[in-house]
Amino acid sequence: MSVPQPDNPAQPWDTRHHSVQGPAKARNQDWSDVEYTPDGALLLAVADGHGSAAHPLSHLGARYAVDVFKLCAAQFATRARAAGDGAGGGLRRLWADAHDRMPRELVRIWQDWVVDRHTPADGEEHRTGPALLRAHGTTLIGAVLTEGLFVAWQLGDGDLMVVHPDGTVAQPLTPEQAELGDETESMCSRQAWDLVRVHWAPISDPARLPRLVTLSTDGLSNSFAARDGFIRFVRELDQRINTEGLAAVGDALPGWLGRAGSYSGDDTTAVVASLKRPAPAPMETED
Amino acid sequence: MSGMLDNGAQLTTDTGDEVSVAGMLGAGGQGEVYRVKTPTDDKALKWYYPACATPEQRSIVEGLVGRDFDDDRFLWPHAFVTGGKHGGFGYLMDIRPDRFKGLPALFRRQLRTSPLALITAGLNMVEAYQALHSRGIAYRDISWGNIFFDPDNGDILVCDNDNAVSEGDSTGISGTMEFMAPELVRGDPAAVPGTQTDLHSLSVLLFMLLMNHHPLKGRAELEIRCLDEAAEKRLYGKRPMFVFDPVSDSNRPDPVEHGTVLATWAAAPPILQKLFTQNFTEGLHDGTRRVRETQWRHALSEVRDTIVVCAGCGRQNMTEPRSATPGICWSCNRVLVLPPRLLVTTLRPKVERNLRLRRAAKVYAHHLHAEPARHRYDSASLVAELVEHPQKPGKYGLTNRSQENWTTRRADGTDQQVAPGQSVPLRAGLEIQLGSSARAVVSAT
Repeated sequence: MSVPQPDNPAQPWDTRHHSVQGPAKARNQDWSDVEYTPDGALLLAVADGHGSAAHPLSHLGARYAVDVFKLCAAQFATRARAAGDGAGGGLRRLWADAHDRMPRELVRIWQDWVVDRHTPADGEEHRTGPALLRAHGTTLIGAVLTEGLFVAWQLGDGDLMVVHPDGTVAQPLTPEQAELGDETESMCSRQAWDLVRVHWAPISDPARLPRLVTLSTDGLSNSFAARDGFIRFVRELDQRINTEGLAAVGDALPGWLGRAGSYSGDDTTAVVASLKRPAPAPMETED
Repeated sequence: MSGMLDNGAQLTTDTGDEVSVAGMLGAGGQGEVYRVKTPTDDKALKWYYPACATPEQRSIVEGLVGRDFDDDRFLWPHAFVTGGKHGGFGYLMDIRPDRFKGLPALFRRQLRTSPLALITAGLNMVEAYQALHSRGIAYRDISWGNIFFDPDNGDILVCDNDNAVSEGDSTGISGTMEFMAPELVRGDPAAVPGTQTDLHSLSVLLFMLLMNHHPLKGRAELEIRCLDEAAEKRLYGKRPMFVFDPVSDSNRPDPVEHGTVLATWAAAPPILQKLFTQNFTEGLHDGTRRVRETQWRHALSEVRDTIVVCAGCGRQNMTEPRSATPGICWSCNRVLVLPPRLLVTTLRPKVERNLRLRRAAKVYAHHLHAEPARHRYDSASLVAELVEHPQKPGKYGLTNRSQENWTTRRADGTDQQVAPGQSVPLRAGLEIQLGSSARAVVSAT
C-alpha cells in the first residue's frame, strides 16, 4: 500500500508515495521517500536506478540518492529559513546555493556513499572508481517545500509535475529537448552536477502555493501513449483529490502504478504531495 | 501560476502606459520575469520579490531607465513599472529571442556550437562590458546567469542589468561568489565592486565559456564535501589557486572528474592560455595585473581570425595567430594543414592583422580599422570573402564585397582594379589595396 504520513495540522501538505516493481524485473530499482523536517519543511524524493546489466547495483544507487537528497535538502531548508529571515540578498544567495552548491553536494556525497558503503559480494566483479559509480547509476528528482519557497532538482529522466492554484498543470523541469532512447543523465555521469536541472519558485503569498506536486519515475509517464495523456492523468489526480480526498487516491495509487508498469514494463514510482484541502462532501447514499 | 502576478494583472509604466501580464517566463534570485502586453508589443517584465523591492533598488532601476541606453547586446531596462495587488515595482525590457541560450546548456553539452561561435561570443561579451565600462558603469554581477549567447554565430545578450551602477555608487550587490574578485570574497576593507573587480569576473566568464569549467575548481574543490560559505570563501577568496598555475600543481584538474577542462585547455592557443594564466595568478592578488578588455579583445579577435578547419575530420581548431607551426587537431590528432595567410595592415595608424584564409574566410570592416569601436561579423560589415571558382574547383579567389574599388598588382607589375562584386585569384605574394584604409598581402605560410 502507499505510505501515508501522520497528519499534523502544522504541516500544510498531505503526502503519499508508492512504488511497484516492473513485471519483467528481477527487483525494483526505484526508491522514494517523503519526510518533514523538524522545522516544517517537506522533502520529496524519487530515484530510478538504471537497472541494465551495466548498472547491477543501481537499486542501491537509487536508495543512496534518495537518502543523500533528504540529508542535503534538510540542510538546504535550514539555510532557506535563515535566508528568509534576512534581506533580499539572502534570497539571492540562496538562488546561487540551489543552482551550484546543492547539485555539487548531492553528487559528491552520493559518490562518497557509493564508494564507502560498497562491499563486494562473493564472486562479484571487482569495481573501483568510475566503474563502481556506473554500477550504481541512478536518476534523482527531489523537492523542498518550505515557508516561502519551492525548489526542485532533477538529474536524468522522470517527471516533476505541478498543479498551480488555478488548476493549470506545469512540468517545470522537463528538458527543452527530450533525451534520446533509453540513455539518461545520471548521478554517475562525469561532472554530473552540471547536468542537474533546478526549478526555483519563491512563494511570496501562501495563497499561491501549488496545490499538488508529484514526482515520478519514467515508468509512469512512459505508460501513456502521448505526453498529453500523462498531463491529463495529473490533472485528474488533482480533481480526484478534490472530490474523494487524498486517502482514497492513496489507496488507489498502487493499482494505478501497477497498471502503468504493465504498459511501460518498468518499475513505477510516484510521490504525491497535496496541499491540504477541505474534506470532500460525504457521498449521498440511497438508504 | 504560483508567481507574484496573475495573468491579466494590469500594471502601469512611468510614462502612463498600461501593461497586462500574459504569463511567467522565469524566476531568479531577485525577482520573477513575465511576458507582458504593452500598447505596442510584447515585452518582458522583471518584477522584484518583496524582500528585494527596496527603495535603493527602486532608485537604481529608475536611474537605469533614465539612462536611455540603446545597445542591441543588452536587455536594458526601458520603463519603470508599478502596480499589482500588493504594490511593488519592476521594469520592462525586450524579450530574449529563443536563439539565445544560457551557459548551463553549454556546460550540460546540450548545445551544438563551434569554436568560431564561442570565440565570437567571448569577444562580444568583452566588448559589451567594455561598452558599459567606457560609460563609467560597472556591471558588478557578471556571471553565467546573466549572459546568453547564440550557439550558431556567437551573438550575445546581457541580462539582469539592474545591478549596473556608476563607478563608485553602491547597489548592495557584490556578485555571485564564484565570479567575485578574491578581495571582495574575503571582504577586504578597501575592496568595493567596480570595473576593476568586473575584470576578474569577466575572465572567469570567458574561461567558463571557452574551457567549460571554473578556473579555480580543481582537486582542492573536489576534496570539499560541504561547499558552505566558509569553503567557498577559502576557494575563491582566501586561497584561490588557478587549476593550471605554472608554479603550483596543488589544484590541478582531476584526470577523471575534470576531463573536459584538460581537453579544452589543451586545445586553446598559447595566446589565450597566457592571458588566463596572468589573470588567475598575478591577477588574483593584484587587481592591476588583471587582463583588461582591450587585451582580451585583441587576443580573441586574432584567435577568431586564425581558426582553421582540420582537413582530416572537418573540425574547427584554434591556432596560435602569428605562428607558422601547425598544431595537432584536438579531435582526430592529425597535424593541421595551415591555409594561406592574409596579412591586413591599416594605413594610419599602422596595425597588422593576420587572417587564415580557411574555406569561406571573410574580411570585415573592423579589419580595416586600427581601433574599431566594435567587431561586427554580419553581412552588412562584410568587405571581402574567399570564394571557390565556379568552374575550376580547388581554385580560390578573394571577392570584393565592399563598396570601394580595390587595386591589385599583376605579375607584370601593372595595376588592376577590382570593382565591388569582382574577384581576384588567390596567389602567394598577391597585394591588394583594400580601398582607402588598408592593404593586404597573401602569404603561403
